Amino acid sequence: MKASDIFSYAFSAIRLRKLRAGLTTLGVVIGIAAIVALLSLGQGFQDAITAQFQKGFATNTLIVSPRGFQGESSYQLFVNDTQTIEGIENVTSAVPIIQKTVYAKLGERTFLVNVAGVNFSKYSSVFSSTFVAASGNIPPNPENGSIVVGARIHDPWQNGTTLANVGDSAELNLTKVGSDFKRYNATWPGQVVAVLDEVGGFSLGGPSDLGVYIPIQYAESFFGSSEVSSIIVQLRNSEDATIQSTSDAIRSAFGGQVSVTSSTAILGTIETIFSFIELFLAGIAGISLLVAGIGIMNIMIVSLMERTREIGILKALGMKGRTVLLIFLGEAIIIGLLGAAIGIGLGLGLAEVVARVGFAAMGGQAGGAGIRPGAAVNQAGSLTISPVLTPSVLVGAFAFGLMVSIVFALYPAWRASKLKPVDALRYE
Amino acid sequence: MTTVVEAVDLKKTYMLGKVPVEALRGINIKVEKGDFLAILGPSGSGKSTLLNMVGALDKPTAGKILLEGINVSTLSDNQLADLRRSIGFVFQFFNLIPRFSARENVELAMAITDMGKSERRKQAEQLLESVGLKDRMNHKPSELSGGEQQRVAIARALANNPKFLIMDEPTGNIDSKTATEIVELTRRLNDEQGVTIILVTHDARLAAKAKRTVEMLDGAIVQEIAN
Repeated sequence: MKASDIFSYAFSAIRLRKLRAGLTTLGVVIGIAAIVALLSLGQGFQDAITAQFQKGFATNTLIVSPRGFQGESSYQLFVNDTQTIEGIENVTSAVPIIQKTVYAKLGERTFLVNVAGVNFSKYSSVFSSTFVAASGNIPPNPENGSIVVGARIHDPWQNGTTLANVGDSAELNLTKVGSDFKRYNATWPGQVVAVLDEVGGFSLGGPSDLGVYIPIQYAESFFGSSEVSSIIVQLRNSEDATIQSTSDAIRSAFGGQVSVTSSTAILGTIETIFSFIELFLAGIAGISLLVAGIGIMNIMIVSLMERTREIGILKALGMKGRTVLLIFLGEAIIIGLLGAAIGIGLGLGLAEVVARVGFAAMGGQAGGAGIRPGAAVNQAGSLTISPVLTPSVLVGAFAFGLMVSIVFALYPAWRASKLKPVDALRYE
Repeated sequence: MTTVVEAVDLKKTYMLGKVPVEALRGINIKVEKGDFLAILGPSGSGKSTLLNMVGALDKPTAGKILLEGINVSTLSDNQLADLRRSIGFVFQFFNLIPRFSARENVELAMAITDMGKSERRKQAEQLLESVGLKDRMNHKPSELSGGEQQRVAIARALANNPKFLIMDEPTGNIDSKTATEIVELTRRLNDEQGVTIILVTHDARLAAKAKRTVEMLDGAIVQEIAN
């Protein structure tokens, strides 16, 4: 029997039981849609995060910090350790950051913010794309009292009610423990000289939307300490060999007491984690497709029983077993193709809706939380995600949908092909 | 004269649960080209079993069934399928595909043998016209009377120019007036077109229309009559 005749015969059999075929197809649609939605959302999420990271820090930077978690380590790094690092090969510049969580009085309101003391000119040369003023100017040789604030400090509710405008005065308050073990308050009066451009969701060592920046020399005296939280190291280039050798050199210069983090390596780790999560999600979605496959098998077996007599007639007319097999597989292929095609469309639509509604809600929530003490990685702002359907996912989803349909139809199709004509004809 | 069908000491034993049932106990018959043989017998006499062997739908337990000299027992499933393409079947319950129209049912038999679309369509229309269903060929079996359905089945059986026609109680499920029409049609096919026909029935009046009759009882031929 010709392929076109086999196909149209299979199609006529499907059309006979529209509802049943429709429901079976729906199973495949849901499975494929789940896979496509999860994978394209995951890919979109990963792309967005990667873009944020690439924007948030330069790939040719290293972050040097004392080993262990902050506070747990007995080893301390100080501002003058920067000179040691600057003496190492391939290092073009080293920027110390001293950080403390302080109360900031901005107009009528007081917030707990993360203040970083940095050298404005060096910091802006390392983070030339993110340590950029949206309004005001970042002075290369700042006076005492100069404050640079992140975009979300300036506009914490993202509704146009702004605080810390350029020229506004601000006051930073810190409770310190003195050498006499008594607590006393230190106040640092300042004035906002610049508001940074929005950085986006994440920053690593680099400027953050929730950051407050003051000149390092004044930070040292205000904090009463020269201990740095981290030193940002700028390298001559971002080649792996350079990153590796310089990291090793820095580590040995401090007797192994510091940890050196490469932004490129972190990006790599994040990407690895994401692909793992994606794979996991796709696996779960795959299970739903498997269930759809069992549905196909179930329906094929029912169909086989209902059509036993029909198969008998076909065989009496001289149809070969393998043609019967192909007719049954053809029905599964039609269901699989249709299900995969609709599923891919539906999955993309679903991903689009989730990206718009779901993540917008999450972004709004993060924005509503307002100013919080920032860690090395700050999550803030609304991340805009657009689902990405890569050709490999597209082809993979299609192939997987089709494959599941065929694999689960194999057994009923094989049984149909093996039916004995006499028995099949006698079947009521 | 060429022998189309020859059975030599044909035996068939079924297992009914654990009890062996001898459906055929050594049948010897010969059907020549152009013959019209009726196999007459009550139900359970083994006539349908014999027909299944003759139609290459089943293989014997012992003995030989030769179709144009080819021993059916030696053939593979695929070869049997090929062989069945040259045999026309007409069943008691018509066995048409319900979702197809009369024309599509006839075309299906030709589609199985890889005939092209336009050719099989033309031929299906001619065949249906010859059985008097020119105006009904786009109707589905459910829209046709029993007699009409059986005529579609005959048209389908003739679709691939069969070497012989096997008819299993073709009038068993239709009223007597229509049955007469079917019998007349069968006679005409044999008389005018020389189609070899093997007919199974328990109706002696119908068997009388054949050129010769063999009577079966309990899996054996008990009598042979030339009409």
